Amino acid sequence: MATTSKQYKAIGEDLWKSRTEKINSELFALTYGALVVQLIQDYEDYAEVNKQLEKMGYNIGTRLIEDFLARSSLGRCSDFREVGEVVAKVGFKSFLNITPAVTHSAAPPPSSRPSSAAQQSGVPGSSFILTLDENPLAEFVELPDEALEGGLWFSNVLCGVLRGALEMVQMQVQVEFLSDVLRGDESTEIRVTLLKYLEEEVPVGDD
Amino acid sequence: MQASPASALSTLADPPARMIDGAAMDYFLIEAVNALRVSSAVAAARARKIECDMVEAGLVPPPPPAKQQNPRDSASSTTGKISGPPDEDEGIRSRLEAIGMHVGGNFAERLCRDRPLFSDSLDVIKFVCKDLWSSCWDKQVDNLRTNHRGVYVLQDNAFKPIARISSWEGRQEALRRAKLYVALPAGIIRGALSRVGLHGTVVPEVTTLPQCTFQIKLPKNT
Repeated sequence: MATTSKQYKAIGEDLWKSRTEKINSELFALTYGALVVQLIQDYEDYAEVNKQLEKMGYNIGTRLIEDFLARSSLGRCSDFREVGEVVAKVGFKSFLNITPAVTHSAAPPPSSRPSSAAQQSGVPGSSFILTLDENPLAEFVELPDEALEGGLWFSNVLCGVLRGALEMVQMQVQVEFLSDVLRGDESTEIRVTLLKYLEEEVPVGDD
Repeated sequence: MQASPASALSTLADPPARMIDGAAMDYFLIEAVNALRVSSAVAAARARKIECDMVEAGLVPPPPPAKQQNPRDSASSTTGKISGPPDEDEGIRSRLEAIGMHVGGNFAERLCRDRPLFSDSLDVIKFVCKDLWSSCWDKQVDNLRTNHRGVYVLQDNAFKPIARISSWEGRQEALRRAKLYVALPAGIIRGALSRVGLHGTVVPEVTTLPQCTFQIKLPKNT
């Protein structure tokens, strides 16, 4: 049964309301900011910090997806387009209480029958872009010049979370930041590209 | 409920606190500790390499052969473990405390915005026990003791950050990890006190989960 965008928004709202424990997002923003500063001091290399933030996010994502699946009654997404909708309207809403806008790369087919949808949005290479109009991680943050020059993606943990969560539901994706208001860009955008669907098998341990 | 213009304006001026999910924060803190473990090892290795380079270049005398190790007062260091864990834990602990200080100082500033000046240090401690605790951990401190000479002991019988810690390796292992995780809250308390002007030390202690005590020592003249 096709679920409309509005229905996903409602599901997201319900899930957010039913979360039993909520904490002040300022605490989270302050903790994350201090952690990034500490990582920069330890690694002294912005590319490495980006990598470590992504890795941290990957580990968080693998746990978050379990939490998400346990609490929501959503079934398998029929195509990658639906994945984007669920991630933006339900996923982000239930954990961070924000709803990024989502733009899909393939034009949506007039009917959402699986056979035609598979042609358009199930193909490796399809992608969606999340546009965050507010970023709870970056609440009190200003980047110094050397961080800008060094190529730091401050909220890179989000990329890892998406990669880890989607890998646990058998999708291998590439997630990267396209722009960030902290860097002076107009908007904060994350692109998620489907690389391939994974077979059901025991995942190879990393490291 | 009629929204009058005044209340609409006051919502603009003083927006309700934005919240995020508590479970997400818990997962984040767990992984943050892991990330800090790796990064502190990298930083320590780099410092050791610089020292080795300097020794080789003859700039500093070689270090004495005896390995310096501060015996920590936690029980785990007497259980015959190899010297790795106490040293690496120290790196993580100091980093967690530093992060906590940043969080505590800034968050206390936000909390203190509308309240009047503190009358004395006991007033500050009460602020920590009530306002700071309930904003961070949804409850108030269960027991406050003081010797009226600058030492305060705060006891929380079900301290939220460690309330759900368990380990498949058993109770002792869970206790060992809990001792590490309380470094961040200790830093938050220390940072909050320091932002208000009381520069003391905060020592956390966990003997039985999930109970935690914090011993606060403030300097004599406050």
